[in-house]
Amino acid sequence: MEAVAQQIPLEHFLVLSAILFSLGVYGVLTRRNAVLILMSVELMLNAASINMVAFAAYAAPERAVVIGIVFAVFIITVAAAEVGLALAIILRVFRNRGTANVDEVDQLKW
Amino acid sequence: MQTGYVLLATIAVPLLTALALTAVPSRYPNAVRVIAVAVGFVLFGLSLYAFFAYQVADGEQFQFQLRWDWIENVGVLGDHGITLHLGIDGIGAPMVLLTGIVAFAGTLISWKIDYRNKDFFILFMVLVSGVFGVFTSLDLFFWFFFYELAVLPMYLLIGVWGSSSVFPTFARTKEYGALKLTMYLVAGSVLIFIGIFAVFVEAGIGTFDLLALYQVQFDEDFQKIVFPLFLIGCGVLAGLWPFHTWSPDGHVAAPTAVSMLHAGVLMKLGAFGIIRLGMQLLPEGAEFWMPALITLGTVNVVYGAISATAQTDFKYMVGYSSVSHMGYVLMGLATMNPIGVNGAVLQMFSHGVMTALMFAMVGALYDQAHVREMSIFGGLAQRMPRFVAFFAIAGLTSIGLPGLSGFVAEFNVFVGVFRTYPALGALGILGAAITAVYILRMLALAFFGPFNERWKELTEMTRWEQAGGALLIAFILFMGVFPSPFADRIAESVLLIPGVR
Amino acid sequence: MGMTDAWLLPVLPAGAFAVLVLFGPYLPRRGDWLAIAAIFASFVLTFPIIADLTSALAEHGEEFVGAANSIPWLEVPGNLELRLGVHVDAITVVMLVVGSFVALMVQVYSLSYMRGDSRYGWYYAAMSLFAASMLALVLADNFLLLYFAWELVGLCSYLLIGHYSHLRSAAEAAKKAFITTRLGDVGLLIAIILLWRDTGTFGIQEVIAAAQAGEIRTEVLTASVVLLLLGAMGKSAQFPFHVWLPDAMEGPTPVSALIHAATMVVAGVYLVARTLPLFELVAGGPELVLAIGLFTAFLSAFLGLVMTDIKRVIAYSTINSLGLMFVALGVGAPAAAMLYLFTHAFFKALLFLGAGSVIHATERQDVNQLGGLWSKMPLTGVTFAVGAFSMAGLPFLAGFWAKDEILVGALENRVAFSFLLLSLPVTAMYMTRLFILTFLGQAREPEVAKHAHDAPLAMSVPLALLALLTLVTGLVVFDQVGRALGFPGGIGELIFLGEPEVFHFDTGVAAASSELVALGIIAGWFAWAVRPELPQRAAQAFRPIHAMLVNKYYLDDFYQAIIDRVVLAGSRVLAWFDRNVVNDTGVDGSALTTGFMGYLLKFQQTGKLPNYALAMVIGVVALALVAFTLKT
Repeated sequence: MEAVAQQIPLEHFLVLSAILFSLGVYGVLTRRNAVLILMSVELMLNAASINMVAFAAYAAPERAVVIGIVFAVFIITVAAAEVGLALAIILRVFRNRGTANVDEVDQLKW
Repeated sequence: MQTGYVLLATIAVPLLTALALTAVPSRYPNAVRVIAVAVGFVLFGLSLYAFFAYQVADGEQFQFQLRWDWIENVGVLGDHGITLHLGIDGIGAPMVLLTGIVAFAGTLISWKIDYRNKDFFILFMVLVSGVFGVFTSLDLFFWFFFYELAVLPMYLLIGVWGSSSVFPTFARTKEYGALKLTMYLVAGSVLIFIGIFAVFVEAGIGTFDLLALYQVQFDEDFQKIVFPLFLIGCGVLAGLWPFHTWSPDGHVAAPTAVSMLHAGVLMKLGAFGIIRLGMQLLPEGAEFWMPALITLGTVNVVYGAISATAQTDFKYMVGYSSVSHMGYVLMGLATMNPIGVNGAVLQMFSHGVMTALMFAMVGALYDQAHVREMSIFGGLAQRMPRFVAFFAIAGLTSIGLPGLSGFVAEFNVFVGVFRTYPALGALGILGAAITAVYILRMLALAFFGPFNERWKELTEMTRWEQAGGALLIAFILFMGVFPSPFADRIAESVLLIPGVR
Repeated sequence: MGMTDAWLLPVLPAGAFAVLVLFGPYLPRRGDWLAIAAIFASFVLTFPIIADLTSALAEHGEEFVGAANSIPWLEVPGNLELRLGVHVDAITVVMLVVGSFVALMVQVYSLSYMRGDSRYGWYYAAMSLFAASMLALVLADNFLLLYFAWELVGLCSYLLIGHYSHLRSAAEAAKKAFITTRLGDVGLLIAIILLWRDTGTFGIQEVIAAAQAGEIRTEVLTASVVLLLLGAMGKSAQFPFHVWLPDAMEGPTPVSALIHAATMVVAGVYLVARTLPLFELVAGGPELVLAIGLFTAFLSAFLGLVMTDIKRVIAYSTINSLGLMFVALGVGAPAAAMLYLFTHAFFKALLFLGAGSVIHATERQDVNQLGGLWSKMPLTGVTFAVGAFSMAGLPFLAGFWAKDEILVGALENRVAFSFLLLSLPVTAMYMTRLFILTFLGQAREPEVAKHAHDAPLAMSVPLALLALLTLVTGLVVFDQVGRALGFPGGIGELIFLGEPEVFHFDTGVAAASSELVALGIIAGWFAWAVRPELPQRAAQAFRPIHAMLVNKYYLDDFYQAIIDRVVLAGSRVLAWFDRNVVNDTGVDGSALTTGFMGYLLKFQQTGKLPNYALAMVIGVVALALVAFTLKT
């Protein structure tokens, strides 16, 4: 831990996570396939995780180390659960309507 | 012996009854009725005890105190953060008695309900529990909790057991009445809610306990800003003009017992809130806003009375007359002098009993005739003499006839108003004269004169209705002839309200 | 049993009322005996009170202002104290005797008159309540109790006018009476509170003392006096509030005798007499009372000439008499007013009970259907004649003495005096007319007249007693009579201590008045007995005037128009406003607006995922920018 913090400045991690996050946002906004959107969402989650871990490493060890990493673990767990759930929904939608294109699935409105 | 468990019982007994009633199979409607009336009687006994065991000149402002800490020392909450703190002063005592009377009479009148009577009584008991809670709570959190508990069952009670009406020029469904009533009251409670949090934060002592908050000296500007929240929030429930229209429409839609509780007790919650939260908590704000309130109160009186004169439907007439009579309460409160406020609280009691009686009688007629249009009746006095006598007593009480409770209350209000605002007082007395016009007109039109043969099927009220009516009349006469048990309790506490002089 | 125990007087009938209402149906004879026993006890108990009063007077002389006794009723410490109390002085005693005696007579009379009535028990209950409230009104030592009782007598009047509730006309008349008097009561209540505001007390004596000490601001006193007068005018049927009294004749006749002749309607006179010192402190106060009384007396006199309902004629004569009493008060002769009140109670009750006897025997009350009853009902005829000519003011009957006192009192005021003189022959004429049409001439419906019979014992004893009193009570004007009855200094001094010489019989005035009365009686005799076609010819010759009189100066129509066109129409406009503007526009309108906004906004809900995602992103970015700018 100590070593990483000395070799690479925090900003690099933040820039990386920002790039990843932006990619994710771009994917969510432009893709029409539900699976791809899901993957983009995962990118965004991972970007957040990187942030968490990075801050955990750079913060004062006695206070923040565990909390940041715990958060990352939580995010991973939630993401896994979410992927399971979301894929199941997408599967059902595909079975029912023969498509995974989100533009064609717009029944959930007034 | 004074113990807060009496007050706790008034809240807990109906709640537990509601719970117990869920266990009674609905194929035994008579068992439900017996339980409900028995519990009504118990509540009446408890409230009677609380009223008479309340000691005048005891030195304690709040008696029957009971305090159970619920949440404390967590986050922003300090010692005694949220407590179930019960207690009554001389203003709460008659209100508790009023609730007991009307609840008991309401269970008696509701004996004849056939459609899902178990569910009816469950909701009824929840409502009663909430009302007792408001009148006895000395903690803002629980005050608000019980306030909502009292307001919300109303929606179902009206929506399910109410009645829709078609008039020549318009129609009112029960859903409309129920929805409007609930929306209005919830809108009012939003304002109260904001006010409660504003007071809590501004006080900065980390407790919702009213007695502690009464000790806090709030900034004058703060009081001026927050008082209208309580005034309008509670005023909506008290029928404050121009926020009164839920009341006539709500009554027209509501079943009899609900109208009784609603006009008899629920509207008093509003006025009670103005005293407890508004005047006692924020006296300087009250002083600043009272000229506005007395103007609106006078409008209430005159406007309600004139509107009632034009009505041809019994319930609309009684509904508007409630608006008019609650105007006397508001006028009395707005005087900020001991006589007027005393009169206002007396009027709260008097109007509660009187209007409950009136609605009970309207209901007794409606259940048989299924119409409420006055002009198509006529000469009912020959067919249902006792019914007409009861109705006439209620009417004469609302006219303010001496010897009945209305006079005692209105006289105090008038004297109080005259002390501060003579011109408005004269208008108020004129309102009482208009009341005579519409009440006597109704009596002459529907009950006297030649008997209309169309109604020869009608029979006298049921025994249960007579019992309920007699109970209410007993208290009308008691207060009208012998008002000092009420006035002594009320006056003592009214003099302790800061700002009242 | 002293003066301070006088509270028992109203309490006894009140107790009877409570028992009758609660247990009436279970009592033998529906409890009429209880009501009569209670009022009889009250009547008897007035005598020890009179004895106590006279001994107190003998002891203290002129300093005696009356004895009072009160109990607390309602109190707001330091701010308001309401007490119920009795106050006995000489005026009170007069009213007590009148009230309890006439009530007793009427209740005995009703034993027979009301027999077989479907609400016989309730009738006696209401009568007891009335007696209780009337006695309480008289005894009240403060304005609060006075108002309390004032309203209760109004209630009893309402209940008893509407006794035959199956008649639409009775229901309407009862309503009219209550509402009309209630309008006056608004004034009374305001006046009471205004006086309290400046003096801090409701006590009648205290208020008068404070006013005389100048503690009440002039404008407040003026307003209060005018408003007090308004209350008195409503109760005592003074113009323009008089319209309810003739209609009140829809009630049973004994009720008219007690409430609408002898007791309740004179409450206004009593109130003004009681508070006369206040009126005298206000510039123009007595003159106002005088003008109202004169106007009322004069207008009502002519109406008596054309009415054909026997009870209505008597009712207009009552309004006439009440006007005279107001005149007496206005010219500053309260003793004359009280004397007239005293004698009027007897002869007017007598007239009504006589009319009741006629109605009871014939079941007709239109004089055009009566006639020729003299031989069939001699006792009724004689007693009715005594009452009628006493009202007319024929010398040596009670009404003569009392009217004479009023005339003497008004002597100073030329206008009032001449108007009074003018009204005398008119009054005499219509009373003569009433008597002739009812009892003399040919029976217009022979079948009815043939079966007519004189009243049974329970009705004839009150008639005879009242007739006897009508013959003799006028004599109390003479101090010697008063002394002989045991009142030091005569009745005049008893009633008004300040003016021992109040009653002064003036032969000149008496001669003038008796000539005018005789003229009126002869004219009436000539017009209705000798040349019966004359009145019809006169009516045709002066048709517009006749029509105006028959229609009661169109006042009832005018009021009805006001109620229909202004009050009810106005209330309908307001109700329309409330329904359509306040509710449908203000309340439903805001709900609809909210709903419409929701309708517009729901189209933002496209159901397409990318739109939502874009909105979220924009939101986050915006929030981030806001946070960023706020931080720097």
